[in-house]
Amino acid sequence: MNALFGSSRLSRNLIATAAWLCYVFLLLPSLIVIPISFGNPGQIEFPPRQFTLALYQQFFTDQAWWGSMVQSLLVATVTTMLTLVLAVPAAYALVRSQLPRRNLLRGLFMMPMLVPVIVLGLGLYLQFSNWGLLDTTTGLVLSHIMLTTPFIMVSVMSGLHHSDVSLETVASIMGASRPVIFFRVVLPQLKASIAVGALFAFLMSLDEVVVAYFLTGTKAMTLPVKMYSSIRWELTPVLAAVSTLLTLLSLLIALGIIALQRKTEANP
Amino acid sequence: MTVTPMTVTPAPASAPVAEGDRAMVELQGVTKRYGEVDALKRVDLTIRKGEFVTLLGPSGSGKSTLLNLIAGMITPSSGRIVIDGRDATTLPTNQRGLGMVFQNYALMPHMTVFENIAFPLQVRHLPKDEIKRKVEQVLDLIQLGHVAGRRPRELSGGQQQRISLARCIVYNPALILMDEPLGALDKNLREQMQLEIKRLHADLGITMLYVTHDQDEALTMSDRIVLMNGGKIEQQGKPDELYFKPATVFSAEFIGSSNLIPGIVEAGGVSGLSLRTAIGTFPVPAADFAVSTGDKAMLLVRPENMTLTGGPGVTSVSGRIDDSILLGGVVRHFVRCKDQSTIIVQELNQPDRPIAKRGDEVRAGWPPAHARLLPPSVPH
Ligand SMILES: Nc1ncnc2c1ncn2[C@@H]1O[C@H](COP(=O)(O)OP(=O)(O)O)[C@@H](O)[C@H]1O
Ligand SMILES: [Mg+2]
Repeated sequence: MNALFGSSRLSRNLIATAAWLCYVFLLLPSLIVIPISFGNPGQIEFPPRQFTLALYQQFFTDQAWWGSMVQSLLVATVTTMLTLVLAVPAAYALVRSQLPRRNLLRGLFMMPMLVPVIVLGLGLYLQFSNWGLLDTTTGLVLSHIMLTTPFIMVSVMSGLHHSDVSLETVASIMGASRPVIFFRVVLPQLKASIAVGALFAFLMSLDEVVVAYFLTGTKAMTLPVKMYSSIRWELTPVLAAVSTLLTLLSLLIALGIIALQRKTEANP
Repeated sequence: MTVTPMTVTPAPASAPVAEGDRAMVELQGVTKRYGEVDALKRVDLTIRKGEFVTLLGPSGSGKSTLLNLIAGMITPSSGRIVIDGRDATTLPTNQRGLGMVFQNYALMPHMTVFENIAFPLQVRHLPKDEIKRKVEQVLDLIQLGHVAGRRPRELSGGQQQRISLARCIVYNPALILMDEPLGALDKNLREQMQLEIKRLHADLGITMLYVTHDQDEALTMSDRIVLMNGGKIEQQGKPDELYFKPATVFSAEFIGSSNLIPGIVEAGGVSGLSLRTAIGTFPVPAADFAVSTGDKAMLLVRPENMTLTGGPGVTSVSGRIDDSILLGGVVRHFVRCKDQSTIIVQELNQPDRPIAKRGDEVRAGWPPAHARLLPPSVPH
């Protein structure tokens, strides 16, 4: 890097500017919906010629839109909580125990990250249709748990690698049992990495569209699926309001993640 | 610092004499193997109740391994470990009823000082008010009551180590293990803490097993020193026994400084033995081990048992002063002998002491009874 650009302030500024331009270029399509969402409720237009909240009003009064939003939040919340219950102890066991097939198990947990989502969606569709889980919240949550588990595990495992084993040793010598050590010594130290993992998982589940599209129909439909189908059938400007809301939510979560990571770097 | 008599611990009410002799820990032929490496080789060791035992030895000699075996963090490859009368060879760590102090303190960063010390009591399901009382008492004992509400990272290293000690003594474990607990502290603080730990041991009567590679620390603190070398116990005994009666060259070199002169055993002298060396033949006291004339052996003379002034009945060797350094209360002379080996002579520093200069011809002497015959060093 240095050999190519030197290390002068100028070249550093150039690189920073280029990076920012890239960000803006990538963000622009998402940002453009924000002004549109405050514009004419009759049709999509840019730049908007009036400022109204009519589209938001439409969104919050239309049961179909509003309901799929609630469904998405429900699925994301339940998915995140169940994944935490599953993945945190699993990560702890994988990192700290001397299980003989540790690496195999680790690979197994990481698998959903490697399989193409579309293949996963198809597989789940075929399997769930046998079990009567299609178009159910349960089915959707189960599949999202599969997708989010590796992310929480990675976050927690890296947290564990940074935490001090001698604290667990000393607790054990003081007479604490494994569960006591887990809840009173390990978990408090993992708070930040668990929170980061949980926010990621929540975000993933919230805007996951491929698997949800395979698995849901009218009953369990989530917001991204509803958006996707409405693009295909009606292309209503309400989409702009929905997109703005989703962007805002994602932004908040991303800021939360950044803040948490800052905090853990400041006092590990 | 002063330590008030402890009332925190419901210690086994003033132990009767007989109990003092009972074993707290017994290692029977314990071996620990890591792949090809034998970290411990068939070690037998008994620690009596109330004793302060120090494991001393160079880095890699197996001290931590021995401690971790007793703590139950690792299990022996063979042999048996008995703690307080029951077989603990495979007993889980948390059921051994021990305490441990680490070099890095190992205090819980997410708990206050009070919560840290309360933790082992909560694990034992003591009632809240009793926990509060005990924690406050032990904080008073180490005179750190004013930091109860702080987090460990807000304290100095010395304070943190005292807290981690308090966290041990608060639940009165049968045995406290300490793995180089003062290794991270500077010299002054370390000496102060040595005395404080010793004081706590004397007041509370808890059995302590202490690990260090620092001979001064071992000599200061211990009832008994166990000297480790290459996974084996080289020698054990009271500090003065190890100092004055080292059994091997390794012991002599590890504890205190020493002049070691190799030679061949011959008949002669008051005890009937003398040692023929490259710098002369010297009478030696009777040996603790079997020797006969013609054997190789080592003569040990501590520098502080030697003088440059000579006197009646003193054996001596001639040489030339190489260097003479002042160490405050003592002066250390480096005497070069005719075979180019160096003998160190340490004398008390007195105002009327004749000044030795580089190149001075001297005679380094010692009373034959203060010398010691050792078997030649065997490679481990
Ligand atoms: N977990 C381990 N795996 C492999 N070898 C080890 C392990 N722990 C200790 N050893 C080896 O055992 C020997 C003794 O180590 P240790 O007990 O830590 O020594 P000390 O505490 O006296 O410095 C050393 O040679 C060390 O390399
Ligand atoms: Mg060690």
